[in-house]
Amino acid sequence: MLSIEDIQTIWLTIKLASLVTLLLLIIGTPVAWWLVRSRVWWKGLVASVVALPLVLPPSVLGFYLLLAMGPQGPLGKLTQATGLGSLPFTFWGLVLASVLYSLPFMVQPLHTAFEAIGERPLEVAATLRASPLDTFFSVVVPMSWPGFLTAAMLTFAHTVGEFGVVLMIGGNVPGQTRVASVQIYDHVEALEYSQAHTLAAVMLLFSFLVLLALHVWRTQPNRGY
Amino acid sequence: MRSLKQLLIASVLAVSMQVQAAEPFTVAIAANLKYVFDDLAAEFKQETGIEAQSVLNASGKIATQVRQGAPFDVFMSADMEFPEGLYKEGFAVTAPKPYAYGLLVLWSQTGADLSKGVAGLTDAAIGKVAIANPKLAPFGKQALKAMEFYKVKVALEPKLVYGESITQVSQYVDSKAVDVGFSAKSIVVAPETTGKGKWVAVPEESYEPIAQGVVILKHGIDNNADAARKFYGFVQSEKARAIFAKNGYKLP
Repeated sequence: MLSIEDIQTIWLTIKLASLVTLLLLIIGTPVAWWLVRSRVWWKGLVASVVALPLVLPPSVLGFYLLLAMGPQGPLGKLTQATGLGSLPFTFWGLVLASVLYSLPFMVQPLHTAFEAIGERPLEVAATLRASPLDTFFSVVVPMSWPGFLTAAMLTFAHTVGEFGVVLMIGGNVPGQTRVASVQIYDHVEALEYSQAHTLAAVMLLFSFLVLLALHVWRTQPNRGY
Repeated sequence: MRSLKQLLIASVLAVSMQVQAAEPFTVAIAANLKYVFDDLAAEFKQETGIEAQSVLNASGKIATQVRQGAPFDVFMSADMEFPEGLYKEGFAVTAPKPYAYGLLVLWSQTGADLSKGVAGLTDAAIGKVAIANPKLAPFGKQALKAMEFYKVKVALEPKLVYGESITQVSQYVDSKAVDVGFSAKSIVVAPETTGKGKWVAVPEESYEPIAQGVVILKHGIDNNADAARKFYGFVQSEKARAIFAKNGYKLP
């Protein structure tokens, strides 16, 4: 059976993943759009930086985030000067770390979707005197709808499964940073296999249902057109 | 085509030779032995000519791996429970014997005032305090015991963050993300950390020094009996005791 503590970790995980997905939709969309449309020479640099979390081991990323967010680090000094306090070992520290860690999972599918639209629809919209913003919301978003869905799905799933970074900067504080993946790890380490199995099964089922629902929704004909 | 055939024959030969090679003598060691093991292995080699390979991990992980058939010959744990469990289940052939006792220290690299010891951690000037997860690590359990002894456990609870092991507590102290960490004396006296910040010993009456047990594993008796028995005797010898004492352990 799931203990109260286990349920708390599941709730925290869902809260974290939803928030990170929402934030990344807001941050990742303009980044991806800029990467597709921009003509500046240093575009490649930005694209590489965005993709870095795909390559870096989570323990490395986590350790440097810990250094950066710590009281002596540049980010830590900034948050303390602005009255936000110290970020490591807090829920918002996890949110920030997860946003960085899951960034490529949001940007890459959007990048692909935006690229697939091509020049033509944008030109047509422009000749019909649509403003760039209007074009984006009435042409680009409906046309790249499946891309948005894929990006959100991947980001959510990736954040739920995140472990290495959380272990590094989370400090395993109940109700703040003890997410389900860490709780499963603790159960396994303490040889509490039955609790680990139960919690893992719940996570597995939940993830599967989310992915299945999105997949069914996505493959319905004429979505968004 | 011919060269491909030769390559194939060569690789089959290489693989079969590896299978036939004698298994190296392997000691699974708890994370806190990281710094002391090199000295032990060097001394052991001088005495017996046997090369002791080490595999470093958290004691609980080692115990789990042994149950799943990991090829370790001797296990030096950070506690007595894990080797005891292996002995009861037949994965170890000797009852666990304490070879050293781990000691608790307070360690800071942010210039926090450690002069008032554990009781002084409640001071408002001190921020986050890291301990090893008490559910998993004996050092974490004893850290809580020391807090209870000084009656500051409840007051300190909001300041506590939990490392998955004593190693992660070191990372938290090292990165200055916490003000103070409950660490092991063997870590703060190691050459790698000497001169990094300040540390004070936690008085021994406030907790139980952590008995660390050694066992010969079944795999050791089956595959490397001579080396395993010699090493088991060696870690309890005067020479080894001197090495442990020098590296911040209390002796049995």
